[in-house]
Amino acid sequence: MKVELFLKVKLNLLLINKSLYIVLILFFFSAAYSEGYVKASGSLIWDSENKNYTANGDVEFKNEKFIAYSDKMIAEYIEENNEEVFTIVELFQNVIIYFEDEVFKGNHAVYKRNDNIIVLTGDVSIESPTRLLTGYELIADIDNNKRILNSANEESLVEVLIGNDANN
Amino acid sequence: MIKFLSKKIFNFVILLLLIIQIFFYIYNKKPSFDNFSQKNVTVENFSSIVLGKSGITKIGSEKLNKIDNENIYLEGNSYLENKEYKIYGKNISIKLKEEISISNEPVKVINSMGTLKAKGFKNLGYEGRIIFEGEIEFVINK
Repeated sequence: MKVELFLKVKLNLLLINKSLYIVLILFFFSAAYSEGYVKASGSLIWDSENKNYTANGDVEFKNEKFIAYSDKMIAEYIEENNEEVFTIVELFQNVIIYFEDEVFKGNHAVYKRNDNIIVLTGDVSIESPTRLLTGYELIADIDNNKRILNSANEESLVEVLIGNDANN
Repeated sequence: MIKFLSKKIFNFVILLLLIIQIFFYIYNKKPSFDNFSQKNVTVENFSSIVLGKSGITKIGSEKLNKIDNENIYLEGNSYLENKEYKIYGKNISIKLKEEISISNEPVKVINSMGTLKAKGFKNLGYEGRIIFEGEIEFVINK
C-alpha cells in the first residue's frame, strides 16, 4: 500500500516536472523566435504593390539592433528567398530610439538596414548614463559605434564615440 | 435457310439501332444555357476559389451567405488565402466585383514576413493593400 502511494506521488511529481519543462521550453523558443515586431494602436497598412508597411498611432518597432517609438512609421521591404525583409524604416513625430544604454530622440528618423545607420533630424538629443547632447541632426553609425551630431546652423558640433572607452 | 435468317436478324438489329438513335435524337434535351440565379443562398462548411485581378484566392467559412451576385458574407470562422497571405478571421464581407473584403472582428494574418494580429481589416485586393485596424501586433519572423 505504501509502495503504491509512493509510486503514485513519484509519478505525479515526474509529470509536474515534465510539464514545467515543456512550458519553459515553449516560452524560451517563442522568445527566441520573435526577433522583431511592429505594434500600433491606430492602423497598419500593408501595401504589397509598393512593398511597404505604414503604421499609425503609438508605433513600437523592434529589430535585432534597437527598439523605437514614434507616432507613425513607414517600413519598406524587399523579398529575399521567399521572405520579406525590412530595408528602410522611417519614423515620424516623437521619435524615441533605445539602443543599448543610449536614448536618441528626434522628430524624424530613417534607419537603413544595409549600412546600419540611423539618421535623426529635428530637435535631436542623445542621452546616455553620463551625458546629454542636443542638436539638429544625428547620424548614428551602429556598426562602427560612431555618433555625429550637427547643430541647426552652419557651426556644427561633431561628437564621436568609439567603443566603451568613451564613457566620460 | 440459316444464312437467310441470320441476314434478316442482322438487318433487324441495324434497323432497331437506327430507331433507337432517332428516338434519342428526338427526346434528348439539349444542355441549357440559361443562367439560374438564386438570391440569399446559404452553404455550410464552404470552400471555393475566387479568380480576380489580384490572382487566385481560396476562401472558406463555416457558413457562406450569398447576398446577391456581387456580394457574399462569410459567417463564423472564415479564411482567405492566396500566394501572399493567409487571413483567418470571422464574419467577413466580400465584394466580388471590387475585390474588397472587410471584417470588424479579430483577425490573424500569416505572410512571408511574420504573423499579424489586428481587431479588423479591409482588404483592397485590386490595389494590393490591406488596412488593419485597432490594436495591431505584427511579430516578424527571425
